[in-house]
Amino acid sequence: MAGVAGGGGVGGSNDFQWCFSQVKGAIDEDVAEADIISTVEFNYSGDLLATGDKGGRVVIFQREQESKSRPYSRGEYNVYSTFQSHEPEFDYLKSLEIEEKINKIRWLPQQNAAHFLLSTNDKTIKLWKISERDKRAEGYNLKDEDGRLRDPFRITALRVPILKPMDLMVEASPRRIFANAHTYHINSISVNSDHETYLSADDLRINLWHLEITDRSFNIVDIKPANMEELTEVITAAEFHPHHCNVFVYSSSKGTIRLCDMRSSALCDRHSKFFEEPEDPSSRSFFSEIISSISDVKFSHSGRYMMTRDYLSVKVWDLNMENRPVETYQVHEYLRSKLCSLYENDCIFDKFECCWNGSDSAIMTGSYNNFFRMFDRNTRRDVTLEASRESSKPRAVLKPRKVCTGGKRKKDEISVDSLDFNKKILHTAWHPMENIIAVAATNNLYIFQDKIN
Amino acid sequence: MLGRGLKRKLSDYDENMVGLSSAFDSSRNLPYSLKRQLVLNMCLTKLQTYKMLVEPNLHRSVLIANTVRQQESNCCDLRSVEDPIENSLLIVSDDDMSSAISSILKDLDFVEDISPPTCLVPTGDDQPKFPENTGLKLEDDRQDLKGAECVFGSFEISNSTSYLKDLAIDDIFEDIDTSMYDSDFCCPPLMPPRPPSLATEEPLKTFPSCNSSSASNIQICRTDLSELDHIMEILVGS
Repeated sequence: MAGVAGGGGVGGSNDFQWCFSQVKGAIDEDVAEADIISTVEFNYSGDLLATGDKGGRVVIFQREQESKSRPYSRGEYNVYSTFQSHEPEFDYLKSLEIEEKINKIRWLPQQNAAHFLLSTNDKTIKLWKISERDKRAEGYNLKDEDGRLRDPFRITALRVPILKPMDLMVEASPRRIFANAHTYHINSISVNSDHETYLSADDLRINLWHLEITDRSFNIVDIKPANMEELTEVITAAEFHPHHCNVFVYSSSKGTIRLCDMRSSALCDRHSKFFEEPEDPSSRSFFSEIISSISDVKFSHSGRYMMTRDYLSVKVWDLNMENRPVETYQVHEYLRSKLCSLYENDCIFDKFECCWNGSDSAIMTGSYNNFFRMFDRNTRRDVTLEASRESSKPRAVLKPRKVCTGGKRKKDEISVDSLDFNKKILHTAWHPMENIIAVAATNNLYIFQDKIN
Repeated sequence: MLGRGLKRKLSDYDENMVGLSSAFDSSRNLPYSLKRQLVLNMCLTKLQTYKMLVEPNLHRSVLIANTVRQQESNCCDLRSVEDPIENSLLIVSDDDMSSAISSILKDLDFVEDISPPTCLVPTGDDQPKFPENTGLKLEDDRQDLKGAECVFGSFEISNSTSYLKDLAIDDIFEDIDTSMYDSDFCCPPLMPPRPPSLATEEPLKTFPSCNSSSASNIQICRTDLSELDHIMEILVGS
């Protein structure tokens, strides 16, 4: 059923609708900065969903087993583990405060009973192990029940410790800390398909790490000019190919994507492919370059395509065609006439992310006013949905929203001028197999599912 | 004549700006030069704000700097066709702008250079490239200066230090609140406290016709920075 219903899971057709499932986070209007969600990520099976926030915390939700008593509930996500991943730090050498905000979370493919994930703030990447414990050992020889060492003279016999059942405990423990390798702010991490290495990218460099080795990383891309005055471009995102462990891409602030092959040389300063769409002279404005800056790049699950998000649109590129994207979808074209104001209030620098559904037939990305957009690649249908408390009745069907772009505003339409630019959806995630999506709206996490007919 | 009724309301500047209605967006028939000036002023304000941060956002700084550079190059082409009166509106904040850009990017470089080296693979190294590039660099400077002359040539009436103090300009902008741009770092132009050293005089000799202060500023900053680098190298022992 994964993403095939209604040709990819985009609403608007009769056979497919999204409905509300859950909302996490406080209802309070007064939002604490630390509670703002800064990243959302499903694991490979989709049973776990991790969020990171500006307060450096990681919250993991686990999908409950479907219960027979409630046939319509198809497994809700409940809190599984919460831990403080990063703390605010101070770099004394550079007199810099390092924020604890979690920039990205990436799950590692599951190898055993435990789960592993990477989380990063601006400078430091950490590898966390999340494991369950429902038994404890009792009857040690050298320690008593409270863990104190016993007097060796009173040990007269040896015994075998036994495992006693106990309440389930989920532990998160830091296994590796990868620090001191980034001068600029880390914007991406990506686990390689070899399951042994990963990359981390900042504004000017990309490093390659081994998951077991923390004191060494290899610099694979460096675009820092000798003279910083000549700097005109920064790296905005990077990702490994899902199947070819030697291939990765990185996007730039100039709207281009470079595909590199690590087999060609240790330092990939020469790309293998260069994806760029020629600029349309008719739509040039003061802000052309700013809005063409790519905020996210994601390979399709198949590895054939990649998707990039810039300020106003999302584009799908075929890896075999470099001169233009195969598909371009407008996310909120009505903002083109508002760019100056959006520049003035810094919204133009917002970094919207994008994601694929499990079968690569649909894509999703965020917008303002708690709106998010979905595009069906087969039917070219698109829909605007809203993550809001108003429509958060159990199993309520999400009504498509429309923004009025000039002319007379129809009923149920919202005019561009009344959009709330403080409510933005930057981070979304799509379950890898099913039509379940997680949408981060400031401090709330919304989970929506498809409706079974 | 222009700007009547275009005054931005205070509420538009509110943090929780709900509606979007800046002077620019709501009246698209503003003359191009005025629009350009508004954008440039915004860029300047943003760059100056970022300059005060310990660690400015590099991504944003680069995007803004490129926006300014783009406008500077456009200006050269447009200047000849435009109305001279409109031209006078293009107060030379470009000068402040380029020094702001270079200083903000330099600050970031400085942050970089005191950081301990972490990577094993030989990277595009920070220092060694510099000396061998000087020949090229001079070429670049010459290009830049030509560009600068082109930009600044027609604006002698209003030099950058008296920017926004000129009465005529105030008249033009009476409806626009310019107080936010009127900050102490705009005038006098950014000048580091140290006296210029040998290296700074050289480019001036090479290009005697050049009197753009930003060019010499850049040179001063550069020596300043390499001195600091040197000191830091000793301190850090790298």
